[in-house]
Amino acid sequence: MKTLWSPVLLMCVAGCAYDPAPGLWHSTLEPRNQHCRRMSQQAAHDLYPGLVPDEPARRLLKPAEAMTCSADFVNEGERPPRDEAVLSTLSTSVRELTLLASSLTPGKPTWVVDAYYPDVEVSSKIAVALRNELFERGLRVSDRAPLLAAGDIAILASLPASEAFPLACRRYFAEGSLGDTDALLGVMIVDSRETQLHAGVCQHAQWRWLR
Amino acid sequence: MKNLALFLVCLVAAAARAADSTLTDAQLQQLEEARGQVADQVQFQAYHLLDDLVFEWSEHPPFDAETPLVMADVSVPVDFGSGLQALIENHVTALLTKQKGTHVVLTHCPACTAMVVRSSAKGTIVSRGVDDPVALAQAGALTHTRHALFLDFEMEGDALVLRVRITSLEPSLPIVYARTLTTTTSAPALLRDPDHLKSAADARQEYLDILENRSRWSVPIHLGVRSYATRPFSNSTFVPVPFIWLQVGVEASITQARAWLASFSLGVTWLPQLHIGVSANARISRLITGSTSSMTHPDLYAFVGGTVFFIQGNSALGFKDEIPDINTVIANARGAEPQALFGSYQVGLELRLKNRIGFAVYLEALPALDNAVNIGSYVDLGIKFQSLGAEVLFCF
Repeated sequence: MKTLWSPVLLMCVAGCAYDPAPGLWHSTLEPRNQHCRRMSQQAAHDLYPGLVPDEPARRLLKPAEAMTCSADFVNEGERPPRDEAVLSTLSTSVRELTLLASSLTPGKPTWVVDAYYPDVEVSSKIAVALRNELFERGLRVSDRAPLLAAGDIAILASLPASEAFPLACRRYFAEGSLGDTDALLGVMIVDSRETQLHAGVCQHAQWRWLR
Repeated sequence: MKNLALFLVCLVAAAARAADSTLTDAQLQQLEEARGQVADQVQFQAYHLLDDLVFEWSEHPPFDAETPLVMADVSVPVDFGSGLQALIENHVTALLTKQKGTHVVLTHCPACTAMVVRSSAKGTIVSRGVDDPVALAQAGALTHTRHALFLDFEMEGDALVLRVRITSLEPSLPIVYARTLTTTTSAPALLRDPDHLKSAADARQEYLDILENRSRWSVPIHLGVRSYATRPFSNSTFVPVPFIWLQVGVEASITQARAWLASFSLGVTWLPQLHIGVSANARISRLITGSTSSMTHPDLYAFVGGTVFFIQGNSALGFKDEIPDINTVIANARGAEPQALFGSYQVGLELRLKNRIGFAVYLEALPALDNAVNIGSYVDLGIKFQSLGAEVLFCF
């Protein structure tokens, strides 16, 4: 009897290897880097025909389901947590922010974008995503970065965010970096501990917080 | 005693440091391997998105006429190096060079990607050339190039996102084209031939056609050999010779996944002076390495089947229940060739590669020959398996 059950148990244990849930084969950390989606067996077969078999010809009472999992490119802890939080939700964030900006800003300005984030590389990623999203909404967008004099930047850096951005907005117009047909969408991290992006619009030398 | 304690503390600390150091090295190596794997995935998915983009441009060009374009910037996901950047740049250049109808002509503009310095009454600006077209114009670098292409890749969870934009190199730097492509909204990534680029949907359909529209019917040709066990302690001096068989038949996959196969084949064997024979074989195979046959790995099938043999010639004497007597020998000399007709059941394993080439081994039970004086058995599990066979097969 023992010999009969051994292969059965072995097959059960081997089957568990495909299950992404924590258990014998996977630690509790691994599933955190997985994105799993439940779908019908037919849909899974269409996506992964070499892995998921077609539905059986004989109709089952309940359609069979499949769980497909894909791993994150970057595992938890491989990038700085704040950067990872911002980058992994970048599409969603910029979609929300550009929707707010475009709907709350009067007229049809040429949009100029800037991102204020401690890491230059991440800051550039945010700005690029915003420009693309604005353009894909059918708006006029410029690749130009608004400039300020070094003295302005030195003073602005010493002010709290609530004062710095309205002042910067006035300076952009005073220096001629922005014109009457322009609107600046600024996206920033206000508190270094937070992961949510804030945004404001600078138009006609007036700064308005969006979020 | 104090010295000894101090020595032990130092020893423990040194051991701990050594352990830490080993652990760190191992972790670094693991991290490096993980990075390599991720880079492979990112590169594959990035190529897929670029293929999508260039194919889209060939269908719907971003410009009405041929337009010179400078590759201004390729930015890879945060924390990825310049190696990936170079691969992506090479791939997109190859695609744009080979693909017709995109109306995009890549041009060389060293000043566009170099840092330029421009001083005016307002101040001095240091920037890339493409960010300051006024400086480029003053340097005379904008004689041919009027547009700059920017590619930006970023990883968002399990998706890779490509953001493309083309900027007109005039003082206001207007964006004239922008497109965002992501791997979650497109079909699963596939490698495509840059010489004959096709849409992701078409490429996928082609893949599915190869995978699924493999004909349910195939014609396998088996070339095999069967050997028969000799009966121990037999008085007969007859030793059964191995039979070489050539079999041709048809095979049908009962399910789309090729989990079940059924085949029927006719065989022929011939050895000069010894025998000529024919056989008819039916077989049912079940895939045991997964639920669907693989296009990339060998598949292992278990099979059962049955065969009927007809042998004519001296070798047929081996399948008789009695030792040939003098009358049989005389009859043979007069031209009456011995004949044997018998059946067998077979069980075996078959390794199949891409449903094209296979190798099988099997055991056969010949119930009608249990009492044959010349045939023994290789395995006796209650059922005697008197024959052992091996074959290679090619499916057409």
